[in-house]
Amino acid sequence: MRVSTTSLFQQALLGMGDRTSNLARIQQQLATGLRMSSAASDPVGWSTAVAVDRAVAELEQFGGNATILRNRLELADASLDQVGDRLSRVRELSLQAANGTYTDDQRRAIALELRQQLRAVVDSANTSDGTGRYLFGGSADAVPPFAFGISGASYAGDQNRRSLEVAPETAVEDVDPGSEIFLRIRTGDGTFVVRQDPANAGAATLRATAMVDPSAWDGGDYRVVFNAGNYQVLDAANAVVGAGAFVAGEPIEFRGVRIIVDGAPANGDTFAVSPAPTQDVFSTIQNLIDALETPAVTPSQRATQRNAIYAGIEDLTRAQEHIIDRRAGFGARLNTIEQADAGREANGVLLKTTLSELRDVDYAQAISQLNLEMTALQAAQQSFVRIQNLSLFNYLG
Amino acid sequence: MPDILSTGSSALLAFQRMMATTSNNVANANTPGYTRQRALLGSRGGQDIGPGYVGSGVQINRIERLADDFVISRLRDSASELGRLSQLSSLSSRIDRMVSDPASGIAKPLSDFLDAAQSLSSQPASSAARSDFLGKAQVLAARFRTLDGQLDGMVNESTRRAETLVDGINTDLREVARLNGEVVRALALGSNAPPNDLLDQRDAIVQRLSQRIGVTVAAQDGGALNVFTNTGQALVVGRTASTLAATPDPYDPGRREMSLQTANGPILLGSSGLGGELGGLLEFARDVLDPAQERLGRLATAFAQTVNAQHREGVDYYGDLGGELFTVTPPQVSARNSNTGTAGFTASVSNIGALNGAAIELTFNGASWSAVRQGTGQALGMTGTGTVADPFVVEGVSLVLNGAAAASDAFLLRPTAAAGGGMQVQITDPNRLAAANPVRSSAAVANTGAASIGTPSVLDATNPSLRAPVDIVFVDANNYTIDGTGPFAYTQGAPISYNGWQVALQGPAVAGDTFSIGPTPPRSSDNGNARLLAAVGSGGLLDGGTVSMSSDVAGISAQIGSSARRADLARDAQSTIDTQIQQERESISGVNLDEEAANLMRFQQAYQAAAQVIAVADTVFQSLLAAMRR
Repeated sequence: MRVSTTSLFQQALLGMGDRTSNLARIQQQLATGLRMSSAASDPVGWSTAVAVDRAVAELEQFGGNATILRNRLELADASLDQVGDRLSRVRELSLQAANGTYTDDQRRAIALELRQQLRAVVDSANTSDGTGRYLFGGSADAVPPFAFGISGASYAGDQNRRSLEVAPETAVEDVDPGSEIFLRIRTGDGTFVVRQDPANAGAATLRATAMVDPSAWDGGDYRVVFNAGNYQVLDAANAVVGAGAFVAGEPIEFRGVRIIVDGAPANGDTFAVSPAPTQDVFSTIQNLIDALETPAVTPSQRATQRNAIYAGIEDLTRAQEHIIDRRAGFGARLNTIEQADAGREANGVLLKTTLSELRDVDYAQAISQLNLEMTALQAAQQSFVRIQNLSLFNYLG
Repeated sequence: MPDILSTGSSALLAFQRMMATTSNNVANANTPGYTRQRALLGSRGGQDIGPGYVGSGVQINRIERLADDFVISRLRDSASELGRLSQLSSLSSRIDRMVSDPASGIAKPLSDFLDAAQSLSSQPASSAARSDFLGKAQVLAARFRTLDGQLDGMVNESTRRAETLVDGINTDLREVARLNGEVVRALALGSNAPPNDLLDQRDAIVQRLSQRIGVTVAAQDGGALNVFTNTGQALVVGRTASTLAATPDPYDPGRREMSLQTANGPILLGSSGLGGELGGLLEFARDVLDPAQERLGRLATAFAQTVNAQHREGVDYYGDLGGELFTVTPPQVSARNSNTGTAGFTASVSNIGALNGAAIELTFNGASWSAVRQGTGQALGMTGTGTVADPFVVEGVSLVLNGAAAASDAFLLRPTAAAGGGMQVQITDPNRLAAANPVRSSAAVANTGAASIGTPSVLDATNPSLRAPVDIVFVDANNYTIDGTGPFAYTQGAPISYNGWQVALQGPAVAGDTFSIGPTPPRSSDNGNARLLAAVGSGGLLDGGTVSMSSDVAGISAQIGSSARRADLARDAQSTIDTQIQQERESISGVNLDEEAANLMRFQQAYQAAAQVIAVADTVFQSLLAAMRR
């Protein structure tokens, strides 16, 4: 084929131009470390990379959520740990004060320490979460949630439960609202309570109470009335449900409930049996304080005091169990967060590997390609120089 | 008798002209578009002197132009394709880089915004988290605006380029017409004397024309070249050149459409079918630029509407229901410049799932309105009557008609193309961000039953009593009243709806148990709405609810990237073909310096020999004279 002089040059220039543009492209890949500079390099790969980017960013956010949640739950757990310790101390002191040999003064001294413990428990309930909000206030946590005074416990928080996502499709609940931890505690044995009538004149004391047959308990209000050595069990409509002779220390059973009364009741003395209401832990401690500060000289006063301490310790035990349950709940959530952490980490590694395979340049391949192109360009340039000065005109004249 | 002198001088003249032709070739070896010329020799007739014929020398029959018209026409077609693809490829690559680059694309700011919503959900009461969320919202809005502005800039640039091209084309057309006249005149003087240089010039201009607009040619008998567009419109006929004009688009004075000015008025050149750079420009605007703007605008519209709807379902730090967070430009309706009626439309997006974004033409035939897709003419279903109570609805856009239209009035509806350019964040106070649920539930502490109440969710944020306090009281273990109404039967876990919210109760209840639903107060750290805002990007929304916003962002990048890639590959292929054809042409018409050098030597030798012949003739004559002298 006939080749004109111009086309010889054009061909050589084209060849060198192609090599140069390839070199420029590879050099940019090596410099940025990215195989794709825009979606045109690999549209499907690029859009996949965009989606994976989003997934990686989401995982990071979940990680942030997990950290915040973990800190709050651990803080709440530590606070409740302290509260548990204080409740144990209150129980110990109350048992001590129930000792019959203590004088009123000694009991009042114990009551003083109980007051300190109560204040400490209120302070724990008002723990701050470190960011200017309060840990146990639910979502109305801008102000301290709890106050306890003469009129009882007041709660300024709400019952809203927050959740946060710590992994895809995994949401974990935040710290329980304070109402559920400190206020909604069942008294008695959890199902029913036995309380002496305040007007009792005798010296009957409650020794033990138990639910022996839960299916027979109907949740109604009953009264056990003592009269002349006998007892009668009346329901809310004053119908007699059970009766018998009273023997101190012998169990009285009705409707699946068993109570043991000791001592000498006066005629008309009554013990009320009713479904257990809820009571806040602060009132529980306050009840014990009130019981210890009341003078107990006469047998009747002593019996009343002993019954009050019995009731208080029962309620306190429920409170301690309740707090432990809440802590177990926190523990379970912390466990979930830990598992989510592991899952997120594994997921993150997978996603980042995928991203790298899509986007990153294979240095070995790119560098060998670079060498190839460089060799080709050098060959093209040198061969061009050799050829271009061959001309017949050089030999004329 | 033909004598030596005349033979010799004919030879001298002939070889002189041959050397001139060769030196012309050498001089023009690097001239682009030059076709090498060759002088054809022929012997002059012989004279009969009796015993035979004696030749009378040599003459130049013709100076031939070595051009293959078929190769030239293939080169023209290739130039048209290459011009079109080069424009398409370079402009598409610019948009592709704009959208792909993390510093100018949408994917990163959208992802950052969703991340900021997630952060807000983890610390709703923190002013830092709120400010950060607002900041990311503003970055996202600014990015939409900037990107849309750049695309608008490309629209303007395309218009300017088209106008410049049209000017250049018109100049070329006039030049071709003039050259046609000159070639015809030159050929009329003698058909053996083709005006080679004029032909080269004309071919070069037609080649440039083809690169610019894509032409086909038909040679006329007199030597003139008639030039037509790829679709058959005449551009140059003989000595008359038509004028191309870039007239304002009837729906948008900022855009141009191509028309040919003829004696009978302007003829519209459709944007499809044109080749060359002009065709590439129009194809780019129609197939890459407009769809890109429309899709990005659709994303902006869907995003703003969805986020706003979710935001209105929450309460802010002041305890008020959330307001509008983002605004975008509503769908634009422009009237055709030939309309005679007084009608106008107010448009809004009513159904994101049905939103497409491509331009729609609305025409009034005197009695009713119809909607077709602009460009393809495909009929689209449109319901409604155009009143406020019953607006026209077409592809997710609601239109309310104002004024009266005259028959054959037409309007162009662009549902989403302008949306991104007007994206603004309406909230400036971070405490106005609605991160909390509007209602909260609680169970009375004195309840003796073991039932618990869940978190309420919002069904209808526009219900006026949404935030009125409501009590659910159990009259017995199996029945409850709501706000005094009822009683209703209690099913554990079944949702209870009232006043626009919904809540579920679990567990056994006892008579007297009370549960309350009330408004979320100010300064709440509830995160319910913030969590829903964070999930906005992954819910199915577009295309009938099958595509989420995060997927759509990736889809837009992929679509634009594919267009750019296709154009690049096609251009590379065409470039290779073009190079091959060029080499073919060069092989036929190009100057080879070695060949010319050899020819030069040959003719030089021949010239010297002919000069010797003259010298011999002179010697012969001198001898004769000397013989005759006395």
